[in-house]
Formats: sequence, structure tokens, C-alpha cells
Amino acid sequence: MQGKNPAELKIIRVLKGEGSGYVSGQSISSALGISRTAVWKHMNSLKGAGFPIEASPSKGYRLASPKDPFNGVGIAAMLTTDIIGKEVVFFPSIDSTNVKAFELGRNGAPEGTAVVADRQTKGKGRIGRKWESPPGVNLYASIILRPGIMPHEAHQLTFLMAVAAVEAISPYSPRPPKVKWPNDILIDSKKAAGILMEMDSEADRVHFVVAGIGVNLNIREKDFPDYIKGAATSLRERCGQEIDRAAFTRGLFSSMEKWYRIYLGKGFAPVLDEWKRHFGSEGKPVRIASFHRDVSGICMGVDNGGALLVKTSSGVERVISGDVEAGE
Amino acid sequence: MDIKDIKNIYKFLKETDIVEFELEGQDGKVRIKRGVAAMEMPAPVIMEREAAKEAKKEEPVEKKPENVKIITSPMVGTFYRSPSPEAQSFIELGSIVKTGQTMCIIEAMKLMNEVESEYNGKVISVLVENGQPVEYGEPLFHIEVSK
Repeated sequence: MQGKNPAELKIIRVLKGEGSGYVSGQSISSALGISRTAVWKHMNSLKGAGFPIEASPSKGYRLASPKDPFNGVGIAAMLTTDIIGKEVVFFPSIDSTNVKAFELGRNGAPEGTAVVADRQTKGKGRIGRKWESPPGVNLYASIILRPGIMPHEAHQLTFLMAVAAVEAISPYSPRPPKVKWPNDILIDSKKAAGILMEMDSEADRVHFVVAGIGVNLNIREKDFPDYIKGAATSLRERCGQEIDRAAFTRGLFSSMEKWYRIYLGKGFAPVLDEWKRHFGSEGKPVRIASFHRDVSGICMGVDNGGALLVKTSSGVERVISGDVEAGE
Repeated sequence: MDIKDIKNIYKFLKETDIVEFELEGQDGKVRIKRGVAAMEMPAPVIMEREAAKEAKKEEPVEKKPENVKIITSPMVGTFYRSPSPEAQSFIELGSIVKTGQTMCIIEAMKLMNEVESEYNGKVISVLVENGQPVEYGEPLFHIEVSK
């Protein structure tokens, strides 16, 4: 586990302020009010955390490249949000970021705490399904939210997260990403990101919601296991470039924060309106597989609560859970 | 307790949503479990059930002893007794549960809500079947609170 060290964050910000130029050890030590030995120790720790720091006895320190390592300090270094990622808790490997965030939430972790991992050994999908979470390539993150809402309103956050994810993914996607109800993100009809929300509540009060998101960033399609091959993709596959995971994570946190503020200030309607702009199934045939039976028909969009409306031979059905597949 | 009593209990159960029932008296114990096959399946799984709403209106007739508490659904959604289809149920009929223990999951639009017991006691009825839709406030379990 890795948190962020305030002094190290300040040092990184000072270095980044100079681009790839040198900053003297003396000026850093006076800016932070710490000894030059302490600066040297922090530099070593930052190097250990993966920052490309170069030291010159005469000139001081510099960053050899603008790319940040993917870890707690790397993500937090240039994060500009006030809520989301206020606390970044990073794990090189963990069973599930959602499980960890839930545990932290129960222990009173503040709103916006983000659990991020390089790898998950038991990445969770909906109802016991797996989320493929190999190391070194993707983003797996879970964020604790504590909105003052009722349990029956909490599903609205599902749509909020989808909107934020689309916004963060769009710059990397040659064609507009589409949302599969309620919150999978598809590019060229292949899944690029999945979101799983879990809530801790009592009858009339939400204690917290954990918003878990997995985004396929740099994984190659050939490396997906057989059961999702052909159905999953990554941003790298779509845009042809390596994605800077720390920078992507910051962009995602910024989008989450932007939409969370809109939601808290103006309610669900603007979030759902934005969601509808990216919804890919309206007017198309769909099939929803669920526990006891399937529903097939033409998708008529969603109602004001976000429930899926499907026109079947026996009328319009309102769907609140299940897997949506393209129908015939 | 004779066969007539059991028949009466069964007749009563058929008119309710109860799928598992256990009664222990001085002269013995009866346990009835009504499977999916035995149940009528009027409601599409993922729709709001008009039938459930109507059934609810009749419910207050049923009188429960004071030490029997009801755990209700905090939201509209789909009811799951286990974290995944293959996994073991969180609780079984007759399970002894503690306050804060997970009883089931309610899902609405990919938001999973673990419903916890608000009581220490014994699960004496499970009122909803796995994978069925539930309404806001719909009773899910009866708990006989420990003294």
C-alpha cells in the first residue's frame, strides 16, 4: 500500500513546473523548508517510485520525461481535483479494489478516497463475474462516495459514472464511445470499460457507495482470455498509441468530479440527459438476459429513472436489471 | 399437529409469497419448502410486479408475534440470495444471524446493495425467491429475535 507523501508531491510539482529543466537542491530545500539531505532522501524515494529523476552535482535535479509512474504518487502528483482522489491508496496487487474500498468505507474513509491497483487477483464483475485484471496495462480503481441521498436514488450514480467514463475515454477513441445500458463503455461495439457499483446503506440512508471501474488501456486484444476475445478491446488497440495510465486516471477523476458536482447541485436530470447522448441501443433490437427469462424487443430508450424500456410483442416492459445484448 | 394442520398451513402458504417455512411446536416440527416448479410464475423477472403490489395489500392480515421482525427491501431491484449464481447463499432458513450480517443483495441497474440484518436472531422465513424482483419496502425475511 502506498499513500502520498506531501513533501514528495510538492517536489514533483516543482520539478514539473520546470518541464525537463534542472532545479537546484538548494531552491527545493528552501521552498519546502527542509534540509538538502531530506531533499536528497525524497528524490531517492521518488526515483524508487518510478519517476525519471536525474541528478547533476552542479545543476540539481530534473525530470527526464513527463511520463508519470502508475502508482499513488504518480497519480496524485498533478491531480487537480478536490474530492475524487483526494486520497489515493495504491496497491501493486490486490484481490479487488471494490472489496478494499468497501472495507475502507466501513472504517470511515473520507469521500473521494480512491483505491487503485496495478493488478487484481479477483477483479469483480456483476453477480460473481470476473473482471480480467492483468498487471502493467490497465486501470482498476474504486472510489468511495458519500452523497446525501436515499438508497433508492443510488442507482443514479451508475449513470453518472458512465458519463464520466465516456468523457475520459473520448479523447483516446477515434470513434465516439457508446454506452451499453446501464454503464458498460463500448468502442466499435467492443467493451473497453466496465463499472460496478456497490452500496452500504440502511433503510433510509446511504452510508457510502463504492464506484468500481476497470478500463482496458494498454492490453492487447490477443492477450484477452478466450471467453472475452472478440468482445473486448482497449484504448491502445483503438488509437494505436500507448496510454499514460497515470494521466488517464487523473482525467477520469476530473470527469467524475465534474459530473458529481453537477449531480449534487442540479440533480439527476442533467446527468441522464448526457448519458442519453451516448446511449447506443435506442431504436435497436435488444435482448436482456436475466435470472429466469429473457426479454426481447426494440429498445425504446430509458425512463426518467434510468430504467430500460423495451417494446415487446406484449407491450412496453421496464427493465431494471439484466445483461443487454444486441438482438436480431 | 396432524395432517389436517399441515394441509391448512400449506393452503395458507400458497396464498402468500413465502417459499420456505418452518414451525416448531411441543409435538414436533414441520418444514415446508416450495420450489420454483411448484410456484406459479406470473411475473416477468425484471418488471415491476403489479401482482406483488396487490399481494402486499393483503399482508397486514397476517399477525406476527412481537419478537418476529421483518427485514424489508431498501429499494426496487432484483433479489439475490448469494453473491454469484454458483456461490453459497448468504443465509439459509434457520440460520442464526447477527446485526450487520449480510442477508442478501438487491441489484438495481448494476448497483449492488448488500442488505444487512438489523437484528440478532434466527431466520424463520425467506419470503422471496432468488432472482425475483422486489419492491421498495417489500418484506424479504422474518427474523425471530433472540431474547
